[in-house]
Amino acid sequence: MLDRALVDDVLTAARRRGGAFAELFVEETTSTSIRLDDGKVEELTTGLDRGAGVRVTHGTSYGYAFSNRLDRAALLEAAEAASAALREGAAGSVVDLRTLEGPLTNAVERPASGVPAADKVGWLRELDEAARAYSPEVVQVVGVYGDSLQRRLIATSDGRWVEEDRPRIRLVAQVVAKRDENIQTGFHGPAACAGVEFIDANTPQATAEVAAARAVTMLDSVPAPAGEMPVVLAPGMGGVLFHEAVGHPLEADAVDKEASVYRGLVGERCASELINGVDDATIPNGWGSFTFDDEGTPAQRTVLFTDGVLRSYLYDRLRAEKDGVDSTGNGRRQSYASPPVVRMTNTNILNGASDPEQVLADTPEGVYVTALGGGQVNPATGDFVFGVSEGYLIEHGEATTPVRGANLIGRAIEVMSSVDAVADDFDTWEGVCGKDGQSAPVGSGSPTLRISKITVGGTGA
Amino acid sequence: MPDLRELVRAAVEAAQADEAVEAYAEESRQTEASALRGEIEGLEFAESRGVGVRMIRDSRLGYAYAADPSVDEVREAVVRARENAALTEPDEFNVLPAAEPAAEIPELYRADSADVTTEAKVQMALDLERRLVTSDPRVTKVDLAQVGDVVSRVAIASTVGVESEYARTDAWVVAVTLAVEGDETQTGFSYRIARALDELGPDEVADEAIERAVRMLGAAKPPTAKVPIVLDRFAAMDFLGVLASALNAENVLKGRSLFAEMVGDQVGSGLFTLVDDGTILDGPGAAPFDAEGVPSGRTELFTAGTLNGFLHDTYTAARMGDGQRSTGNAKRGSYKGSPGVGTSNFYLDNGSTPFEELLREAEGGVLIADVSGVHSGANPISGEFSVGATGLRIEGGALGEPLREMTIASTLPEMLAGITGLGDDLRFFSSVGTPSVLIGEMTLAGV
Repeated sequence: MLDRALVDDVLTAARRRGGAFAELFVEETTSTSIRLDDGKVEELTTGLDRGAGVRVTHGTSYGYAFSNRLDRAALLEAAEAASAALREGAAGSVVDLRTLEGPLTNAVERPASGVPAADKVGWLRELDEAARAYSPEVVQVVGVYGDSLQRRLIATSDGRWVEEDRPRIRLVAQVVAKRDENIQTGFHGPAACAGVEFIDANTPQATAEVAAARAVTMLDSVPAPAGEMPVVLAPGMGGVLFHEAVGHPLEADAVDKEASVYRGLVGERCASELINGVDDATIPNGWGSFTFDDEGTPAQRTVLFTDGVLRSYLYDRLRAEKDGVDSTGNGRRQSYASPPVVRMTNTNILNGASDPEQVLADTPEGVYVTALGGGQVNPATGDFVFGVSEGYLIEHGEATTPVRGANLIGRAIEVMSSVDAVADDFDTWEGVCGKDGQSAPVGSGSPTLRISKITVGGTGA
Repeated sequence: MPDLRELVRAAVEAAQADEAVEAYAEESRQTEASALRGEIEGLEFAESRGVGVRMIRDSRLGYAYAADPSVDEVREAVVRARENAALTEPDEFNVLPAAEPAAEIPELYRADSADVTTEAKVQMALDLERRLVTSDPRVTKVDLAQVGDVVSRVAIASTVGVESEYARTDAWVVAVTLAVEGDETQTGFSYRIARALDELGPDEVADEAIERAVRMLGAAKPPTAKVPIVLDRFAAMDFLGVLASALNAENVLKGRSLFAEMVGDQVGSGLFTLVDDGTILDGPGAAPFDAEGVPSGRTELFTAGTLNGFLHDTYTAARMGDGQRSTGNAKRGSYKGSPGVGTSNFYLDNGSTPFEELLREAEGGVLIADVSGVHSGANPISGEFSVGATGLRIEGGALGEPLREMTIASTLPEMLAGITGLGDDLRFFSSVGTPSVLIGEMTLAGV
């Protein structure tokens, strides 16, 4: 994307005041986004984005500047601006740039760019028809299709030269069902770093039906109970909770600021011994997968918990250098417009030994959660909250009446310590995670698991 | 480098005879400085520029954008928008607004703020962090101490005669503190968005973030009960976001708003008056015209509890019919997206009850200091919500025991009808403002 001599000059300019290292991130992204709403393909947008960001670091301090232009003058100006964060110091050097190669994590069979837009529009029509055919109570459907290809170049003053293309694809169905005055919604949005072969495996019809079933099911719901009770989480949902409640406090920037409940707890048991958890960017075609992170560190699988014992935090370069460890490859950024922050990739609770049906059968009463709408955590206190978008009462070991208006609230360490069953039916869930004003695609996954006691916030008895 | 007006004109001139084309260009220069442990934590410069082209051809809509384009690249974007329009369905309500003169608001651009040096902004962040960690012995660390500003310019032009531009400055300060006592850590948060850096009042923001952290130390989980609730302005503000979605005419027209059939109904209590006003000069959401060039206005959505109507852009107004006009509420996140309905300065009108009096009226209840999980726990379509909360018990007319790990749940109509008191303390933190709100009774779930 840029020639090496120019990159070398930019990095040299960025190190005019020294600092630990300088980094150039160059991106060119093409994207297609199509939205169907109210039975119509409303909008088709194609975009071309390009830009470059320069970062200069000193300890955990950094300066960052970017430009939409990739010419020499603009890049040198960005380098100059980024270095302004440093106090006056001796200029640093730039090591010979060497290309790093890694195994291909996100192989593409059929690139989205090679498929006519009319075919993509057709998928949304299929989705709309399938959702409406599911039930006469389906009154509204939104379908969103998106694909993008991000071409990246990362070069650093300590000699890294990394080029990687990152393909993304997603198809989302959001369905509204109505019966009399009762309105409910259902959402499903599978996603991957892959080509359009992903749509063959996750058809518009299947995606529509999952979302429609959720919305229609919830029409029969009663207000959720309020108070402490056992909760069984369906496959994938434990991963969402693990990402939010545990994963964020394990990000080393929170730990470094002493704003993490897990500070000082590596090597300690701080979850049920049934919990084995990882953050894994190497899962082929995973929504949070890559070959190199956005700082040019190779992707890896980081063990977070073994039998409930905390093993590691998640690191970017800055925090890793401060702690004297290697980066775990968790330096990620939304685009060239933002510096990297520490964040998760695909964060999973691994399979246990229980039979999922038995887990439910062994729970006399409580709530069975089959879809979470998203959540929020305060990493410093570990307090978290999740909205339940699809859930059921558990009565005598069976999931019975659907419940609405529920959320789950708890504290990370307490809740992860009270997991008393982990099944063997692992599944994934793809989401978009927000942190420091940047959003990033993240995967999460888990088998069925049970929390022996957690507060459910509803309005019912 | 071509100026913005040149770029949007190029797009309009590239339109063919049977096409309506609108081009929107923006450029911005943003600086953001944060401090940690007496040093710069991060210093970020962002210069951004781009053009988005909206094309309506045979009532079909297409959109394309380009970052920092040349005039030729803008013309290419018009071609791509045309190709994209060929693939979408016709919708008779896809129209561009006719040109209407918008009053200029020169006060939106504060040259003195735009001229503040980077060093001065860094110093503001360093001073903010110092105040945060030296004011209370229990607060010695920050999670975030940040000062930022952005200077931006917008230009818009269309084939139906719109051609306008304006410049603005915006500035913000954010503080997140950590209060520690024994093994316990609590966080406190405050922020302010203003027109200029010298209007931020970082000391007040710092002191509030400290107070909000310290007062939560020793928090316990309360028993499940139905109690009177006072929503602190921070908490009330989060609910306004949910209301904004339900009052968006696009959601109303597409069956995604609980308010769809309620115009003219007494939905909220007589105290509840909700306004959107893009002409309030001090408000961060102020602008002379909206994202499709329609002059900003004032819309009273609820008056004394009665629902008057919704927020509109040109599309939703045309589709609503009955002489409905755009309320000047077309908004876009950036040049990368076509406009949709959004709020400008959106606020719950001020009440008349002093805060202390609200507390007396809520005896035995809880002040909700913060809510969490609103984006997932509140459903603007069904109106149901259940969100996480922290707060303080109200005892003897004053704030008492801190409470954590609880939820509050209700429905929006029940909550709005249940407003029995409004503070006289309306405050804009950002483009959203609210006074403190007393609600007669809500379910609070804990142990």
